Amino acid sequence: MFEWSEEQLAIRDTVRRFVEEEIKPIVDELEHGDTPPYEVIRKLYATFGLDAMARDSFKRQLERKQSGATGSARPEGGGDAALTLIPIIELCHYCPGIVTALGVSTGLAGGTIMKGGTPAQMERWGLDLLTMDKIGAWAITEPDSGSDALGGMKSTAKRDGDEYILNGNKTFITNGPYADTIVFYAKLDDGSETPLRQRQVLTFILDKGMPGLEQSKPFRKMGLHSSPTGELFLTDVRAGRDRLLGESEGTPGGSEGRESAKGNFTTERAGVAAMSLGLIEECLKLSVAYAKDRLLWERPIAEFQLIQLKLARMEVARLNVENLVFRHIEMSSKGKSLTLAEASAMKLYSAQAASDVAMEAVQLFGGNGYMSEFRVEQLARDAKVFQIYAGTDEIQVTHIARDLLGR
Amino acid sequence: MNVVVCVKQIPDPVAPGALDPGTNTLNRSGKLIMDDSDNYGVEMALQLAGGEGDEVTLVSMAPGGETSGLRTGLAMGAAKAILISDEALAGSDALGTAKVLAAAIARANPDLIVMATESTDGYTGTLPVQVAELMGLPSVTFAKAISIEGSTIKVERQTEAGFDEVVCPMPAVVTVTAGVVEPRYPSFKGIMAAKSKPVENLTVADLGLDASQVGSAGSGQEITDVSESEARGSGEIVVDEGDGAQRVVAFLEQLKVI
Repeated sequence: MFEWSEEQLAIRDTVRRFVEEEIKPIVDELEHGDTPPYEVIRKLYATFGLDAMARDSFKRQLERKQSGATGSARPEGGGDAALTLIPIIELCHYCPGIVTALGVSTGLAGGTIMKGGTPAQMERWGLDLLTMDKIGAWAITEPDSGSDALGGMKSTAKRDGDEYILNGNKTFITNGPYADTIVFYAKLDDGSETPLRQRQVLTFILDKGMPGLEQSKPFRKMGLHSSPTGELFLTDVRAGRDRLLGESEGTPGGSEGRESAKGNFTTERAGVAAMSLGLIEECLKLSVAYAKDRLLWERPIAEFQLIQLKLARMEVARLNVENLVFRHIEMSSKGKSLTLAEASAMKLYSAQAASDVAMEAVQLFGGNGYMSEFRVEQLARDAKVFQIYAGTDEIQVTHIARDLLGR
Repeated sequence: MNVVVCVKQIPDPVAPGALDPGTNTLNRSGKLIMDDSDNYGVEMALQLAGGEGDEVTLVSMAPGGETSGLRTGLAMGAAKAILISDEALAGSDALGTAKVLAAAIARANPDLIVMATESTDGYTGTLPVQVAELMGLPSVTFAKAISIEGSTIKVERQTEAGFDEVVCPMPAVVTVTAGVVEPRYPSFKGIMAAKSKPVENLTVADLGLDASQVGSAGSGQEITDVSESEARGSGEIVVDEGDGAQRVVAFLEQLKVI
């Protein structure tokens, strides 16, 4: 695959029209106001029938789970990853934060429940998350553990009869302030002397408003303002077995939190590459237009070689990231998945490229680039987080190196 | 109810347009898109033909077997399309095009034919009534609302002062104005389904027409020359020195606008 198919272009064009007509006019409200992104996401879902498609997908996954089959519920021959990635790319031309809020709710929270949950849990929580009728959060990171999220986790789940008592703090939780459903990770406290680092990680599904669960207001952040991020505080929250993912402590891919958490890494990292592509495309488009328009010494700055160098480097980054995204789409269509190392390499390169391109765009715009009116300022602030969340650059390096050295 | 919508596939207005130096007509050799003004006709037709057994058929005349624009209408929900594509059609004027479309529409045996008031590349605005005349059907132009009442249609026809209510028997040709309805976005499923919806490809001969009636051979017009339009003047800047409002009023009166 080296270009979008006609069908994919039609999808791109119609999503692009939606973004221009429905999102562009409210970007300021989403970025600097108190408007959470969920209503416009729901509108996006209803407009393109994504809610109906999510219901169909849910039905297939549920039937598969009920039949006892394991593995992917993808259609024969693999799915079309482009259907997911094209909206991500287009949304990131204006508002990467929307993608983060959407991806965490449907992909991380919804995806974890659909993968590890029982049929009853899928029906109780999964469907509403996949359709965006409800908002999901995926709570793993803690104040003292980021990249070391599983080992350094201090949140605890203590058995108490048929229930668990949950305690702990979570931070940097996307959708945390508004989440209706929270996938919560905690270490099993079984009263043994097992060191905290080695204890089993369990996964629970919590609801907004449960006694002892407090959801903070949104944090002030460097960027990605349209994605609300917050903290969660759990004080003696009582969770029945029905809230334990898979309703068993030992379910592989279910409540066993380490596996459940790691299972999301590949999809998440491929998604960040698509986000990077959208952001790079927009920075390049804005930069080319600005370079042609902006006059210095009575000449468009596009005539200066140092400006041309910036544009050329942006184009190289765009081509490379686009190729990585195309490769992922083509693999997916053939039913093949990226390895964790491949997904990490893709994410590492794309996130760095997005950050570099966006900062160079600010530089190319000069003083105007530092002003929010010219938009590259927002994109540069947003791009930085691509190198931090979904595994920092440094973590991607370790995953790539581990794969290389383990061959 | 069967509704036909005539859809024009035009060069993307975003791309710089070019004239064929030999014929002085618009170069239509690249990818074509559905004329934006047809979005409203397709949407109106889909709303009117939303019942069980109802169907919307698109009819288009375009060079090179082009279907890109038709796929947009099919993705919105039209059931099928008829495409007339024939080298003999190059250079057709509005009447020649109307003859072709009328013959193609008749094959679909529609209850109602919906068209845009005018295309956004040609702007003749004459084709819909020519089609109606050739088919012997009533035509109602500038519709801002359409409703079906039994075997008749009731149209609110936009006028300078407001609107007229027109009732006419079906089948009929109705032209809709831009903004009459909010065109839907094609859904992802619609886009994917559009690929496999039937498009009937026809030639001039298939329609029983003679090549001499259409295209440049049958055209009653010839483009003899094309020249640059005069550059617009710089206008007049009115500096408000306390009498700004009066000067603007005087200016508008001079133009006989007020």
